Amino acid sequence: MAAGPASHGGHPRAQKPHLSKMERMVVSMQDPDQGVKMRSQRLLITVIPHAVTGNDVMEWLIHKYCITEEEALHLGTLLVRHGYLYPLRDPCHLELRLDETPYRFQTPYFWMSTLWPAAELDYAIYLAKKNIRKRGGLFDHEKEHYDQLHRKISHTWDLVVMQAREQLWAAKQRRKGDRLVIACQEQTYWLVNRPPPGVPSVLEQGPERNSCTAGRVQMTVDFYRREVECLRKALGRARVKSSVCLEAYLKFSSQRGPHDPIMSGCLPSNPWVTDNDTYWAMNAPSAAVPTRLRVEQWAFSFRELLEDPVGRAHFMDFLRKEFSAENLSFWEACEELRHGGQAQVPALVDAVYQQFLAPGAARWVNIDSRTMERTLVGLGRPHRHVLDDAQLHIYMLMKKDSYPRFLKSDLYKDLLAEAVVPPETKRRVFPFMRKPRHSSPSPALLPASASREPSGGDGEA
Amino acid sequence: MAKEECKALLDALNKATACYHHLVLTVGGSADSQNLREELQKTRQKAQELAVAIRARLTAPLRDRGLGAEERAEFERLWVAFSGCLDLLEADMRRALTLGTEFPLNKPLRPLVRTGVEGGAANVAARALSARSLRHEAERGFDVEDLHQLEREILQVGEMIHDMEMKVNVPRWTVQARQAAGAELLARPSADVSSMRGVSVEQRTGPCDLSKALAATIFSAVLLAAVALAVCVAKLS
Repeated sequence: MAAGPASHGGHPRAQKPHLSKMERMVVSMQDPDQGVKMRSQRLLITVIPHAVTGNDVMEWLIHKYCITEEEALHLGTLLVRHGYLYPLRDPCHLELRLDETPYRFQTPYFWMSTLWPAAELDYAIYLAKKNIRKRGGLFDHEKEHYDQLHRKISHTWDLVVMQAREQLWAAKQRRKGDRLVIACQEQTYWLVNRPPPGVPSVLEQGPERNSCTAGRVQMTVDFYRREVECLRKALGRARVKSSVCLEAYLKFSSQRGPHDPIMSGCLPSNPWVTDNDTYWAMNAPSAAVPTRLRVEQWAFSFRELLEDPVGRAHFMDFLRKEFSAENLSFWEACEELRHGGQAQVPALVDAVYQQFLAPGAARWVNIDSRTMERTLVGLGRPHRHVLDDAQLHIYMLMKKDSYPRFLKSDLYKDLLAEAVVPPETKRRVFPFMRKPRHSSPSPALLPASASREPSGGDGEA
Repeated sequence: MAKEECKALLDALNKATACYHHLVLTVGGSADSQNLREELQKTRQKAQELAVAIRARLTAPLRDRGLGAEERAEFERLWVAFSGCLDLLEADMRRALTLGTEFPLNKPLRPLVRTGVEGGAANVAARALSARSLRHEAERGFDVEDLHQLEREILQVGEMIHDMEMKVNVPRWTVQARQAAGAELLARPSADVSSMRGVSVEQRTGPCDLSKALAATIFSAVLLAAVALAVCVAKLS
């Protein structure tokens, strides 16, 4: 606590320049000639001076800074929310009203810059004082805070109680008007620093950002050399025009739109909503009969076709008919090499060479001479990427040659015709009469019968 | 007994710290004046004297290894309260320094914030010093010199706290406070002199009791006068 305000030092001020600006504004409002007009507040017998109305504050702001009414209202609200001005009639609602509601200025001791962050011991003392004054009539959130504080700093609770009592006695030595004002001031301070639930806290700062001024870079020759290098590399990078990018993006979105389960719904039904996992069963990687959407997706790009196991299988069938199945087999073998284990690399390279690349091989693939030379050189020192060039060549060959023919072939058209379009489950008339949801079996239990959910979507209708 | 003495001194320090806090609240506001600065100085000097005295009394028993567990726990409790009090005092002194430098008196370019607090706080300071009343002897440029002195005193208090931490090792978290949560709601028998000055001990629930009493007396007086007049009129007619 004692270490608190000192150790932060200039740091909170540096991070909150808006506070010092607000304080300067408040001080200039105090000018006896050009400040805000002061009135007096009349309680039953006591008269307390130095009250201002919301209107006066607004007018002063507009006059002094030549701003519009909206801006003045915003500024005034900021002042009230940060606790530099507090309303006298409705102290729990810190907002600036443009009528005759009286406000008063906060004492500099309770300004944000002096007394921030709020210490827990001080809050405990304040709550204890309030407890004494109101005989236990704290708000709910204050009661919670009280209990929390009692748990946290229970070792200094003696001090808390002693100080609370003594501070109340000290306050009693003052005139009644002063006592009221000081109580209001303290209450406002704690309303700002420990806001009740539901009120946004003005003291919240966003995530810590590394400000550029924090780490001062030395402007040496090295620094500039590095900067120049970096910028030169940036200039050399290939850039795509945004018109081109956006066109591709639009095309992608329009093509994929009907296939996306969130944008266009999924048939038969969304498993997360209806507890019916037919959708997943039908779209499983190794489903026997692919859905129509899936077959259509193979037409989007060659990569889609190869990535889908069912698609790849059908493509292999097609290539067999065309007597060029060795291309796809070679490609698959190269994939296996690239993603396989390190220990198997030499043996696999050898096997692939023997099967596909050797002059009299059983399934010889047609690679151009330059690539073949490079590969043969690389085979001397086999590593997992040694067949990359050859693989790419075969891939482009398949993509340019076999793939368009596949899409135009009868095989594909038959697949499209045979593809399943699952019907949508009929909406239930009474939506609240859902099927009772079963809790998923615990993974610790043995996976018992897999057919826990035998009924398909159609059974629900 | 040493413990009773320590407790009495600690109570006095507590009172002085609370009064000091109360006085620092108004620095920079409309009640700020040379008198206030003088009161601040007197209060904090008294608090420092008390702190030195308590420290002398508490250090010896706590460094004594042969002390019984019960006694030691009692002294540790006092120690924790004492160091907490001293921390509060130092924090308030620092704030007084910043506020005092920001709001120098007698400078028309930097007006004081009009906070609505007007009256003097002489009673508060008198309570801290356990005196009947306070005499103000400050001259015009008092606050400027006072700030230099305040800086020195802050350093002194800081050193004192540091010394205390070094010499006596009291782990705070092992200390059990005597007061439980909500203990402040129980009435405490107050045994200090200044409370017998006629301030009644009854708790006031609302701020309007005095005004209500006044209104009631005025009303009854008017009523009596009206009744008397009516009787006179009845007699005359």
